Amino acid sequence: MINRILALLIRYKNISFGSFPRLLSIFYWPTVQILFWGYFTNFFMSNGSFGIWSALNIILSAVVLWDVLFRGQLGLTMSFFEELWSRNLPNLFITPLKDIEMVYGLIVTSLVRTLIGITPAVFFANYFFNFHLFELGLYLIFLFLNLIIFGWSIGFIVSGLVLRYGQAFEELAWAIIFIILPFSCVYYPLDSLPNIIQDISLFLPTVHIFETMRLILIENKIVLHNVFIIIFLNIFYLMLSILFFLKMIFIARKRGLLFNQGE
Amino acid sequence: MPKTSIRTKNLSKTYDNQTVVSNVSINLPYGGIFGVLGKNGAGKTTFLAMLMGLITPSEGEIFIFDKSLKLHKYEILKNINFQSPYIDLPKKITVMQNLIFYARLYDVIDKKKKILKLSEDLFITDLLDNIYGTLSSGQKTRVNLCKALLNDPKLLLLDEPTASLDVSTSEFIRKYIKNFQKKNNSTILITSHNLEEIEKLCSHIILLDKGKIKFDGKKNELFKQNKSSSLKDIFLKDDK
Repeated sequence: MINRILALLIRYKNISFGSFPRLLSIFYWPTVQILFWGYFTNFFMSNGSFGIWSALNIILSAVVLWDVLFRGQLGLTMSFFEELWSRNLPNLFITPLKDIEMVYGLIVTSLVRTLIGITPAVFFANYFFNFHLFELGLYLIFLFLNLIIFGWSIGFIVSGLVLRYGQAFEELAWAIIFIILPFSCVYYPLDSLPNIIQDISLFLPTVHIFETMRLILIENKIVLHNVFIIIFLNIFYLMLSILFFLKMIFIARKRGLLFNQGE
Repeated sequence: MPKTSIRTKNLSKTYDNQTVVSNVSINLPYGGIFGVLGKNGAGKTTFLAMLMGLITPSEGEIFIFDKSLKLHKYEILKNINFQSPYIDLPKKITVMQNLIFYARLYDVIDKKKKILKLSEDLFITDLLDNIYGTLSSGQKTRVNLCKALLNDPKLLLLDEPTASLDVSTSEFIRKYIKNFQKKNNSTILITSHNLEEIEKLCSHIILLDKGKIKFDGKKNELFKQNKSSSLKDIFLKDDK
């Protein structure tokens, strides 16, 4: 009996420790949880002046907007993974479908999936919690669009990595959003983070997006400088991620990987 | 009509210093059924994949219908299709949804009519509303063949078209392929481990061995050269 249990243990050790993304997910989660809840509690303890409804409104707005990013990324990667999992990629790539058309198709699919997914959440939040997401006005569309665009950027990077390095990287599709969560300042402001992490976080458009959201909800104010940074960073990352994805398709063709994908 | 269907010039593929296809130059006329034979690892699938642009050659050139694949890829791909038992369609959607999707990608005019016609011919009309993942391997093969014929391909590449099929379904598929070729005067390139199948279908054979061409010519010439009357004998002799 011990021998068989040992066999299982070795097998799961090989599976879990056999790839970097899986290894990362084992060690990263506890740290992320501690960091995230630590910063979150600190922020609310030191801002006791917030009314409970204002605090709830900010948290719910952040939850919904964060989900836009998550749905956007997942909508893109899952659509691409469906082709991988069903061993359908060769069928796709021998049609006249151009690589860039695939990129456009994934973007539009992700947009539709996100809109369908997020609408009931907004409705329930409004109905049950007197939620005021629409107080963000036209900026809501701006924040929504920019979050989904950053979701696409992450989605293209993950899809490219899976295409190039195989299924071990699929774990990233679920984990990557939560890897950047503590640094994105979704539920607490940038200055809650240590200085060195602040410097790194500034490169994430999500930081500027959620800072903008809080500023509108708390002070009813918008900083134009932030808006330009959001647009600039998002365009830069989207272009970079699309180029990366196209390059991975190119490498997959070169290394004969399109034939060997799937479950 | 183009003079050649497939022409390759010193085609090679190397992965990390391992050569899978080496210096393959062939010149196949337009129209006919051609067989690509070879043992496991001979480079058949890699060769086929390069002809469709799925794998980039390390060296050499490919011309399909007298046009360079590198320069006219998307124009050529409109007239090519492929079927393999090792490649699937999305399992969670219906057969019809899968076929409509591919008909769209190939800009098929009157998609539904085309699908219904092919479905009738391939006896899959009853399966059109079924979820693809629930089909048996024989049914999947016929659905995949239907997908491969949606664009009336001038060049049809078939990788083991009857693998894991029962005798009657295999015979049906072979007859269908033969009739399709005659009717459309298309070019069909088949790889198979079923030597009898290749003997029945193909008049021209390309024999690959460790990525190199061992023979390229008429089936009868191959028999004559090897003083054999069947491909099976040739392969068995070679093993000795």
